[in-house]
Amino acid sequence: MADVSATMDFRRRDAGDKLRGHTRYTVDRYLPGMLHAAVLRANVPSGRIVRLDTAKAARMPGVRAVVTAADAPGTIGIGIADHPLFARDVIRYDGEPLAAVAADTLAQAQAALAAIEVETAPEPAVLTMAEALAPEAPLVHPDWRAYEVLFEGGAREGNVAWEATVVRGDVDGAFARTDVEIIESAFRVGRQNHIAFEPRAVVASYEDGRFHIETSTQVPWGIRNATARLLGVAASQVRVTVPPVGGGFGLKFDLAVEPFAALLARASGRPVRLVNSREEEMLTCLFRENAEIRIRSAVTREGEIVGREAVVLMDCGAYGGEQIFLTTMTAHTLGGNYRLGAVRLVSRAVYTNTAPNGAFRCCNGVYNTFALERHTDEIAARIGMDPLAFRRRNVLGDGDLGATGQVFEGDVLGPMLARMDTLRDAAAPPRKLADGRLFGRATTVGTWFVFVGPSAATVNMNADGTATLVTSGVEIGSGSMMQSLPQIVASTLGIDPGNVIVRAADTDAAGYDVGVGGGRTTVALGAASLSAAQEVRTKLLKVASDMIEAAPEDLVMRQGRIEIAGAPGSGRTVAEVATRAQAQIGPVSGTGAFTGAGVPAMPGCVAGHFIDAIDIPVFAVHDCEVAVDGETGHVEVLSYRVVQDVGRALNPRAIQGQIQGGVVQGLGYALHEEVTIGTNGRVNQNGFETYRVPLALDVVPVEISLYEGAPSIGPLGTKGAGEVPILNVGAAIACAVANATGKRVQELPLTPPRVLELLLDQKPDLSLSHIAEDWADNLVRPHGTTG
Amino acid sequence: MALSLNVNGDRRGFTADPVTPLVDVLREEFHLTGAKPVCREGFCGACMVLVDDRPTLSCLMPAALAQGCEVRTVEGLAANGTLNPIQQALEACDAVQCGMCFPGMVVTLTHLMKATPGATRDDVRSALTGNICRCTGYESIVEAAVRALTAT
Repeated sequence: MADVSATMDFRRRDAGDKLRGHTRYTVDRYLPGMLHAAVLRANVPSGRIVRLDTAKAARMPGVRAVVTAADAPGTIGIGIADHPLFARDVIRYDGEPLAAVAADTLAQAQAALAAIEVETAPEPAVLTMAEALAPEAPLVHPDWRAYEVLFEGGAREGNVAWEATVVRGDVDGAFARTDVEIIESAFRVGRQNHIAFEPRAVVASYEDGRFHIETSTQVPWGIRNATARLLGVAASQVRVTVPPVGGGFGLKFDLAVEPFAALLARASGRPVRLVNSREEEMLTCLFRENAEIRIRSAVTREGEIVGREAVVLMDCGAYGGEQIFLTTMTAHTLGGNYRLGAVRLVSRAVYTNTAPNGAFRCCNGVYNTFALERHTDEIAARIGMDPLAFRRRNVLGDGDLGATGQVFEGDVLGPMLARMDTLRDAAAPPRKLADGRLFGRATTVGTWFVFVGPSAATVNMNADGTATLVTSGVEIGSGSMMQSLPQIVASTLGIDPGNVIVRAADTDAAGYDVGVGGGRTTVALGAASLSAAQEVRTKLLKVASDMIEAAPEDLVMRQGRIEIAGAPGSGRTVAEVATRAQAQIGPVSGTGAFTGAGVPAMPGCVAGHFIDAIDIPVFAVHDCEVAVDGETGHVEVLSYRVVQDVGRALNPRAIQGQIQGGVVQGLGYALHEEVTIGTNGRVNQNGFETYRVPLALDVVPVEISLYEGAPSIGPLGTKGAGEVPILNVGAAIACAVANATGKRVQELPLTPPRVLELLLDQKPDLSLSHIAEDWADNLVRPHGTTG
Repeated sequence: MALSLNVNGDRRGFTADPVTPLVDVLREEFHLTGAKPVCREGFCGACMVLVDDRPTLSCLMPAALAQGCEVRTVEGLAANGTLNPIQQALEACDAVQCGMCFPGMVVTLTHLMKATPGATRDDVRSALTGNICRCTGYESIVEAAVRALTAT
């Protein structure tokens, strides 16, 4: 229901101020009378708090408020409410908050932190998943049974915070067949830090008996609800507004600093600013989790995958958080890409005494795709089939079953692989490496999906012919709020996208929204915005029909006018019609709402999953060429190509920007972004010197082809495009390096020392002895039973 | 102690510890929040300003050392509100995403255009080694700079 295409080359309206340095992010907000806050953090990974005395600190110069665990009675979590705001009696990770102070200056707040008297008694810590899963391991949460369960269905026990399983078909039967090869692979990946340039930051006030939280977040409603839960107040007592956000990447999909500032604002009666230092961001970032994976397949000589089983261990750190939810993803990522005869998968979120992990662009998918694609190459090698031919034979197509038994619609991956062949063939042949370096190449596929879920939008038609779009969407840099949403509204109403004003997120102004992430902004907020705009359109056409004396169905909305179809220049301007409507029936507005359709899985296939089947699959094909230096172990990326399933591209240039950026983040993950945890339980990389992100000289221009036309329930056929570009980068680089070196790549990142170890055969085969040999022995309880 | 700085052509006095990083003085005394203290270690370049026309990391420069110098921040680069050629090219190429690194990018590239008008694509990439961007993967920034350089 639009007369103008929503596909536009519309430039983002926030660029000018961002280029002038005028944009005020949360870190740039200074309110009159504002106090500065700082958080005291534990410096042991596991211990008991014997004494915590803030009396002296409270008397320090400039100090206006001190808050501790006594001020925050609630607990939060996804699935399991295991996470208090402050450590209460028990410290579970190095860096866990103990108290927070607000003072006139930051220096005074920091001085007060030093004056808080803390006595802790260290307890044994489990710092790795192997330690956490060992028999008789100390429990991170000895009281795990007592926690409130927020979502039913996950198996839990001891240090296993959550377990999700998939069983479809007769896997034992498949592995017992005499005509199959059994291929087993093991993989391990470390954590990745988002390095959002704007740290977690908040300015909180206490106004008219309610909290007003201005924060750098992707999830205004999530912050509202979680803050209220921790503070023990009604959610309606918390208002969240969001200035432009200086980078998210999933880091800001969870609560972080907001409740501290809220408590201090209430206690002091003054606005309170709390900004994480870079060191705090480095040490307590909600990282992409480290993971360990064993995958085994039964494959015929002809290349049919008749059975597959996998165990995926995901480190949640000290609290379950996102990882509990993310156990769901394995079914759709590791269980994706290929047709499988029978399959069983278990994902276990494991507690350790380390900083909690969180969400990061293509959560879980990045390492599971690495594991799946490297495993795929090992299969192809074993049965003597070309890896690309093996993929062409097995990728999911129309009518194929996914791991959880959902039926996929449309042939997408097959044609995308063909598109990649065309791209590759058209490119200049790989340059001969005359310098003795080893050349390698790979083509990998990946399966991701759009997080659907509830979103709301209101479009207010203004009498001047502009429209105001009110949502709880946040502009985190991806451009969805600046480009795709105004384009959708503009095309529906036939007005210039520049005439669509986009209201910044305010939970007092717009309805519930899951948040900006998971590739859902254009889809979920876009669908809500589309239906809101359509309601406005219907109302305007009705009024215009009287004014122009033509039936509404004979009218079109284009170029800011409502005209009789086929008679340009007839009719009235949208502003004239809106003005008339305002006088006649009152100001025109429309509302829209969206949530997922709910695709069914096969009954009995899944247990402990938050999403049984995926509403909108998104596929990606990546291709790269690398040169590996045998002397230094350095990997140079020579070329990189992406064919991405976007459904429909509303703003191709903006999507290309997302792809280039996402691929480069993935190159960092694949090659040099490394987080390690010391024996003291502390993250070793505390700044940009030790955590190496890609620089301008490290990257190559990504050659991009947007694949349009795959089925999608997204508005106008769209799918999310900003999340997925990072999905198969680790996979593509790992497969290319394995191809170049002939070695078994089992770990990321492929830093020069790690590559040298491979080349010199100094790297023993990865052994994951805490993953039981028999798949079923890894489960807390058998699939399909209840605890 | 009493200090005085000339920033974007305005002279202003204030009181601060002389070793206060210039970036904090710019943000808190001058209310110029364009320069961002992202890493505070001199690695990311988001706090880059021009001190006597030289790109300078304002997180590492004590404010007192900037006395007597001409400090120019990103806010001072768009004369009368009109974007300078590199800002215009970055906007035209839709290069901006979250935008936090751009104040530093703009300062570095503005200096490059003036100091090395014949800069090549590789020169641009080299010039950006001290400016990290986490969103864009650099390509659109390099493209914009090349476009601005060839247009002049």
